[in-house]
Amino acid sequence: MIGLISELEAAAGIIMAPTNVVSSEQRHAAENVFLNFRKSKSPYSVCREILEKSQNEYILFEAAEVIRGAIIREWSFLMEDDRDSLRQYLFQYITNKAVPQFVQNRILQTIAIMVKRASINDGGRNRTVVLQDVENLVINGDHKKKMLGCFLIKNLLQEYSNTLQSTDVGLPFEVHFKAKKDFESFDLKRIFQFCVYLLSEVVNTDPPYQESMLQLTNQVLIISETVLQWAYIAPMLPRRIINLYERVYQSEEPPHLKLDKHWADVILNPEIMTLMFRVFWKIRDQEELAHHALACLVQLSTLNGPVVSEEAESIKYLQNFVVNFLNLVSNVTIRKRESVAIANIVNKLNYFSDNDLRKLPKELTESMYDEFSRLTCSFCDLAVNEEAQGEEDKFFGDAFTIILSSWDRENLMTDRQEKMRYCPIAIFNKYLQVHLAPPDGTRQPCADDADEIEDNEDNDRIKYKDNLQVVGQLARYVLDHSLSVLLNVLDTRINKLVNHVQTMQNRAMNISEAASLDNLFEDIHWALLITGNVLCIESQGECASVPSEIMSYSLRQWELGHTTIEATMNTLAAMGAKSGEPHDFDKCDMVFKILYVVLKLSFVEEYAIANKLGHFMSPELGSTLMWFLRSWCVEYLLPCNVKYLGGASPILLDILEEDPKCAMLLFNMLISKVQSNMYFYQSEPILMRDTVDLFCDIVCIKQKNTCVVKTEGMRRLIQWQQALGVGVLPPGILKNVMKGIILAGSTIKDPNELNAYYDLILRPVQNRLKTFLSQENLTRVYHNEDVQKVFIDIVELLSGVVIGVQSNTASNIFQFIAPMLGEIPVFMTVYSNYQIIVQLILELFCDCAKNILCFLSPNHTKTLYDCSLAIVQNYSKCNANRFTSEAFAEESNLQDLALVLDLFTHTLSKDCIDMYNINTNEETLITASDVALFGLNFVMPLMTIDLLKYPCLCAQYYRLLVLINDIYPEKIVGLPQNLRNTMLQSIEIGLTSFGQDAVHNCLEFLEGLALHVFKQKLAQTEFGQAIKYYLKLLMDLTLSHQICSDLISSASVIIYELICSFQDEYQMLVNSLIQMQTDPLVAERLAAAFNSLMLNVNLTCERQQKTKFKDNFDKFIANVHGFLIVK
Amino acid sequence: MADLEDTQFHTGDSGASATYPMQCSALRKNGFVMLKARPCKIVEMSTSKTGKHGHAKVHFVGIDIFSGKKYEDICPSTHNMDVPHVKREDFQLTDISDDNYLSLMSDNGDLREDLKVPEGEVGLQLRTEYDAGKDILCTVLKSCGEEVVIAVKTNTALDK
Repeated sequence: MIGLISELEAAAGIIMAPTNVVSSEQRHAAENVFLNFRKSKSPYSVCREILEKSQNEYILFEAAEVIRGAIIREWSFLMEDDRDSLRQYLFQYITNKAVPQFVQNRILQTIAIMVKRASINDGGRNRTVVLQDVENLVINGDHKKKMLGCFLIKNLLQEYSNTLQSTDVGLPFEVHFKAKKDFESFDLKRIFQFCVYLLSEVVNTDPPYQESMLQLTNQVLIISETVLQWAYIAPMLPRRIINLYERVYQSEEPPHLKLDKHWADVILNPEIMTLMFRVFWKIRDQEELAHHALACLVQLSTLNGPVVSEEAESIKYLQNFVVNFLNLVSNVTIRKRESVAIANIVNKLNYFSDNDLRKLPKELTESMYDEFSRLTCSFCDLAVNEEAQGEEDKFFGDAFTIILSSWDRENLMTDRQEKMRYCPIAIFNKYLQVHLAPPDGTRQPCADDADEIEDNEDNDRIKYKDNLQVVGQLARYVLDHSLSVLLNVLDTRINKLVNHVQTMQNRAMNISEAASLDNLFEDIHWALLITGNVLCIESQGECASVPSEIMSYSLRQWELGHTTIEATMNTLAAMGAKSGEPHDFDKCDMVFKILYVVLKLSFVEEYAIANKLGHFMSPELGSTLMWFLRSWCVEYLLPCNVKYLGGASPILLDILEEDPKCAMLLFNMLISKVQSNMYFYQSEPILMRDTVDLFCDIVCIKQKNTCVVKTEGMRRLIQWQQALGVGVLPPGILKNVMKGIILAGSTIKDPNELNAYYDLILRPVQNRLKTFLSQENLTRVYHNEDVQKVFIDIVELLSGVVIGVQSNTASNIFQFIAPMLGEIPVFMTVYSNYQIIVQLILELFCDCAKNILCFLSPNHTKTLYDCSLAIVQNYSKCNANRFTSEAFAEESNLQDLALVLDLFTHTLSKDCIDMYNINTNEETLITASDVALFGLNFVMPLMTIDLLKYPCLCAQYYRLLVLINDIYPEKIVGLPQNLRNTMLQSIEIGLTSFGQDAVHNCLEFLEGLALHVFKQKLAQTEFGQAIKYYLKLLMDLTLSHQICSDLISSASVIIYELICSFQDEYQMLVNSLIQMQTDPLVAERLAAAFNSLMLNVNLTCERQQKTKFKDNFDKFIANVHGFLIVK
Repeated sequence: MADLEDTQFHTGDSGASATYPMQCSALRKNGFVMLKARPCKIVEMSTSKTGKHGHAKVHFVGIDIFSGKKYEDICPSTHNMDVPHVKREDFQLTDISDDNYLSLMSDNGDLREDLKVPEGEVGLQLRTEYDAGKDILCTVLKSCGEEVVIAVKTNTALDK
């Protein structure tokens, strides 16, 4: 014994020694000592010795760890008396000895595990006794014992709270789950009551508290918090979903407090609510304690479930809470660390039904909303302050977002409309105010004004999207107020900007003028963001429609005679003329008034460019302008087939439809703005992106009588694009201009017109390629940069064409581009040394597979497949057997191969989704999987293990295999042997080398194949023999914990499917596993475990049998891991 | 358009400058640029700006195409950067002379014997493959007056 202790102490000394003192062999040897120690059987008395005798903390910890491991493994062998005495010993040990915290924690955890395991057999009787003891200890013991008692309760809660994450305790999931249910219905409430008792002692004394009192209170609060955040999970849910729930609860927000009826006497007792608030008051100055106390309050604000199913109870509880809460927030200044929890409470009170909220006393409701809007405004101020000071943590910022979102609700304005108007007005005003510069606003200069801002950071539009949307909604409650305020802000600021630019034309700016210019940009930027969110609701994937509040506001104004169609049309006409204020501007509809003012901004930008002042304009503001115009157009220019409740405003609905001239005018202006941006602001990537977005969206707009294609602006833009010199537009822009031009064609209905349009667009591209190809000396000059640029332009144009294709234009366009695509593969070889071109070509074909392939006829499909394969073939020919010294070679190969795999993946989608009308007699000549597999044949040799170590390529590769296998397992079976072997080898590597995602994909791949082998009775074929190997492999991997517990059930399905095909092999495997065991007891238990694994399972590969096996396997693994230690 | 292309096609690179200017924003990732007077391949390109309403600047990370060293630079996106003429041409290896010079033949049949066996692993690989009697293609990288064999590949084109 002494020998063991000194051996361990020596080993611990080596492990803890600095790296330069011991060699790695010594370290390994020392680690092995502990690894062997951990595997010792019945180590209880040895460990007790160690705990008593050793002074070495490391060894004490290891001893505790070994006991824990042994308990889990050997629980069912232990006699009940031994268990009890061990538990009592351990508890005595930590009570009497001064051991380090980490040793203490491990022992406490071990005790908790023992309590849980014991409770499974005796229905919790023992646990109740333990709890009773612990409570006595906390009440009567000294400070140390009190704390230990609390720690033990915490550990118990921890052990019982999880069902899936704690499978290493050696119990199958069902047992964990039952234990949890058991615990929560008998002991959870009792623990909470105990906490309440302890807390009531706290509030009876006054601060300052002694340190020991604070420590204890902290623990009690943590326990209360855990109880209130308990995740009650319905027993009927499938295991997968329970797993998901547990993960979400652990990583994000705790679940709402949903309690059963038996909690009524505690939770509905008003004194307990008051107590919890009073606790917070008392310990508010202690940051950590306050945090847990607030977390309890947040949970109390979410009470629901059977306990409050009676309406009267629910209202009484709510009222009590609100009274206490208002009492708190109206009497203190909220600190930054409290703000998020306070905001959360406000937000969560919303989960009480409208009905309940409405039945609160009127005065209470009013003061509640009063207080809430005051809090919202104050958080808004504080959030902006925090931002301006460049603080790292955004407490108030987060709090503001949360509290603001509580206003985004239908019921707010319905029955108290007039009375409640002041809330949205106050919040809207505040939000606008903090974003405007003084004197009108309170915006502070930003702390990091002159700092570099990376473009990959989100801009305001994205970063504050949630807030802006709620403010937009609030503003729509009070349109008469908000729209006129916004119009005024925009108008004054933009006019100021006009003056500014005009002054700049005459003389240089001084410093203060430059600063005020920046202020103007920022003001207009925010005013546009807010206005855009008031007028438009972003509608992803839905038909855009005018917000109903705007529609009825416009209708009302028209009905009241405040606006007229004529005045609105005058305004529209005036936009084109760029003249002074239009006639009767007062009577113009608000939506158009705002557009009129905003377009002035567009004119200022163009004016500045024309006068060589373009570089003074703000690209940020330019982007915001593009976004605003795009949102406006999508919402107000699209023909609306939506039925508006309460009628539609004739101004908004008809004006652009009825008068083609107006719409034409607007289109022309926008397109010319797009063109000018593309020309002058090429160097601003974000502005370019937004400009392109605007362009691609407006060209798709089709009005009754007008079509963008036929506008003068579009004609000019096409001419401009075709006359552009080679390489003038930056990468990507040319592609997107082309995309827009092609998209525009999709609005043409008449087939002849459509053909003529595409002829106009695509003929010049064809001619460019022809000229390029017919150069006599191409083979000599292809290296020259100028020549390369011509080719790059052509490929970019083609890519643009392809991504602009819509279902109705696909076949038409493909006829134009097919011959061009056919010319491309040879350049894969010619330009194989120029990565930019190689990748552009690969991207072009990816785009083809992604955008156009699914619409193509079988004949066209084959053409595209042929080209794609030729591309891949040429690529692999140029790169096979290549050896290079370039530093970036690996990275380059990685990018190329990722594109190749992308190409295959997109191509495969043709086999899943084919939109082509199959009414023709054309036969499907070749399937996409053939293409992908044939292609893989070429690139497999290039995919080295080193490259697969890159996570993105690895994921892509295995996903592709799964996809092919999902559609056509028989194609995998039929592969040439060497390719198939390489593929299966890569699956084996994937199971062990690249992490969970790859394992998941590999398992999915094998599952499909194993099932296929069984169904097609391929067991005796060569392929079957190749697959057989995986039975042993998977068995080994699961038994040796190399497949993580989440994936074991997927693995077990494959094991089952393989057993169905290879029963003899399975028997041999089982026998050899049993024979390998040296300990006869273990061998016997293993044999028994294998027997019960196959108990009542038929080898038919049916779903029901599979599930049965899966469950058995689960229990098998939990059981076997207990006694079998497999290396 | 046709005129423009014609004039461009006849410019050869003999006697021309080793670099030409290009607007920053027109450069691409994986393209080439001069960083600290060295020809580099652009491996990373990102944009940033000074202040919220400022103009874009481009940040480059490049790798010297000959030495593999890493360089960085930042430049307003409207400004021009020098771009090296970079030519990467494949030649067939016909012989290695006693003094370590390579005999190389281009696609057009032009012969040259002015390049040495490269140092390092590529050179070793080249020797081994050559001694094994394989057909070898050499990729010659040429830029800014430097010229070197940077890759070898057993020529499968001839097998077909």
